[in-house]
Amino acid sequence: MKQTTSAFSRRRFLQGSAAGAGLLAAPAIISSKALASSGEINFTGWAGYPALAEKVFPAFTAATGITVNFKELPDQDTMFAEGKVALDAGGIDVIEPTIDRVGAWDTNGLLGAWDESKLAMDNYLPGLADGAAGERSRPGGALKYVPSNWGTESLVVNTASAKLSTPPSLGDLFNPENPSVVRPHSALAAMGRWLDATGKLPRPWMDGYSDMAAMTELWDIALAEAIKAKGSVVQWWSGENEANAGFTANGATVGLCWDSTGFNLRNDGYAYVAPVEGAFAWHQGFVLMKNAANVEQAHEFVKYVSTPEGAAGWASAFSSNPVGKGASDLMNPDVATYYNGTFNDEALSKLWWWPDQSAEFLAKRAEYADKYKAA
Amino acid sequence: MQDLLRRYGTGLTSVFCLLVAFWILVLIVLPNFAMFEQSFRPYLPVVEVGGPKDVYSFANYSKILDNGFESTIFGIPVTLPIHVLTFLDTVFFSALVTFFTLVFAYPLAYYLAKIASPRSIPTLLLLLFIPMWVSEALRAFAWYVILTFNGPLNAALKGLGIIEESIRWQNGIFTSYDAIVIVLTYCYVLFMLFPIYTAITSLDTNQIEAAEDLGSPWWRTHWRVVIPHAKPGIASGCVMVFMLSAGSLLVPTVVGSTKANWFPQTIYTWFNDALDWNTGAAYSMIFLLACIVFVILMMRLFRVKLSDIAK
Repeated sequence: MKQTTSAFSRRRFLQGSAAGAGLLAAPAIISSKALASSGEINFTGWAGYPALAEKVFPAFTAATGITVNFKELPDQDTMFAEGKVALDAGGIDVIEPTIDRVGAWDTNGLLGAWDESKLAMDNYLPGLADGAAGERSRPGGALKYVPSNWGTESLVVNTASAKLSTPPSLGDLFNPENPSVVRPHSALAAMGRWLDATGKLPRPWMDGYSDMAAMTELWDIALAEAIKAKGSVVQWWSGENEANAGFTANGATVGLCWDSTGFNLRNDGYAYVAPVEGAFAWHQGFVLMKNAANVEQAHEFVKYVSTPEGAAGWASAFSSNPVGKGASDLMNPDVATYYNGTFNDEALSKLWWWPDQSAEFLAKRAEYADKYKAA
Repeated sequence: MQDLLRRYGTGLTSVFCLLVAFWILVLIVLPNFAMFEQSFRPYLPVVEVGGPKDVYSFANYSKILDNGFESTIFGIPVTLPIHVLTFLDTVFFSALVTFFTLVFAYPLAYYLAKIASPRSIPTLLLLLFIPMWVSEALRAFAWYVILTFNGPLNAALKGLGIIEESIRWQNGIFTSYDAIVIVLTYCYVLFMLFPIYTAITSLDTNQIEAAEDLGSPWWRTHWRVVIPHAKPGIASGCVMVFMLSAGSLLVPTVVGSTKANWFPQTIYTWFNDALDWNTGAAYSMIFLLACIVFVILMMRLFRVKLSDIAK
């Protein structure tokens, strides 16, 4: 009997289909992301605010089914560095810088544009996403930035031992009787604004932010004055830990710190005070990476943080202020009381928003901070 | 190489060689070369990289000579570029750290190698190693806590009635670099101890006894017999401690006073504050080269050859 050999045997068929199935499944085997791109977002934000991952992200996932891959970084200079790497390597969809950096990030080609029709621009409180802030959010015309929360950098003072003028002023930071905790570049800006308010500058301090010649002229003066008063600085801070230790461990009585520092120390005999010149105010929000992979999900995410629940959760996590209408009713009453204790309507109207700072400005600013530190 | 082949065979030997080649090439040579190349290019927005403005120059390197700054060195007023001043401070105080670690490590190494009974050596080495199990970051923070104004050192001294007012140890008694020198010495003293210990162990004890029999006082025995023999160990310990201290970023950042600036912090500022990676890369190259030159000069001065250290 002759064995017939068929070109298409049962065994061959099985082998072939197994290989085919393997090929089809390959993207899933090689990269889990190939299958999961429908429901995730890669978000790079601030480290040290655990309530985000504990409360806000689970609530967002419950509402939309999108999971958040959260990468925590300590400061936005590191975020910029990671963003620059991600431009080639991918892996980041949304980052959370402050508004004053958006210009520099945009000129570095990092940012893509948000699609306003997929967001709810009406959710935002007045003044945060429209008006001057709205213009700053649109470098080159398209919307590149939407807010997530905002807060202030102001005087943290030891209520018992700080020597304050009446009303308290940024100048109290440079009083030789007050051991102080500051960060170099903010201290120089505070010196500049104080000199400006007391009429000791040849031109307005704000000129320095738009004109580099004016910047060096003004910052030279501020640096010289700040160096004269440097003896009272007992601690530099760059993050929450050092700021806190400056007061508790190194005995500072006055500092120019974030609101969160003042909030954490509120029960230890420290108060958060708005200076007569107006507190520094910052505005933090979301930018979309130019090469973001999960664009739809990113819009969902950002939209969620503008709703009352999302905005309140975000602001509570940072001990700061919400961006969404109706969010303040949902906030932790502790935070609300703390803020209202510092900022009455007058103090609110005097808030000094950090202006845009170009890449060139930042480089020059770092030089001044360096000289101030080494002096 | 022949030895390796004979002992481990072709397979293992080629694995060794490939791993070493990977380490040197991919983890050391290529990254440094990339920095070297970047250091000659200007800092430009991403969109202009590769454009007409993206040309090689020494502009990043010459920035170190900008910004003259008045200061005093040993009481003499001088005007030096601020980053040169930081660099000189870093080299000087790193050398000081190296000197202190040597002063601490040499007697201890001699004791361990020649005097302590062999049975107690494992216990002693273990005791020396225990602090190394804690990460450098934690050790630096511990020192930060000790030296702070409201810290335990001031509390203890006040409690004992030795001082009346708290002292800002972090800001320094002698210089604004006191705290950095203390903590770096603490962190790196073992890197000095072990090379010297190994070197002294290989010295024949008979030589020391012979010197003593011939009437040499203890200091001359050390000067003429032990130290010359331990020289390669001392040299490699010095090179390691100096380079580690000069390159430390963590310790100066955590414990540094408000007047101290360490050169790696300047480099860090260029990268992370000014966002100017190119100038940061140029500064890194300057720092690397200058430290190598300094080490070679010191080795010339003390008549140590590189081949001695390799042993």
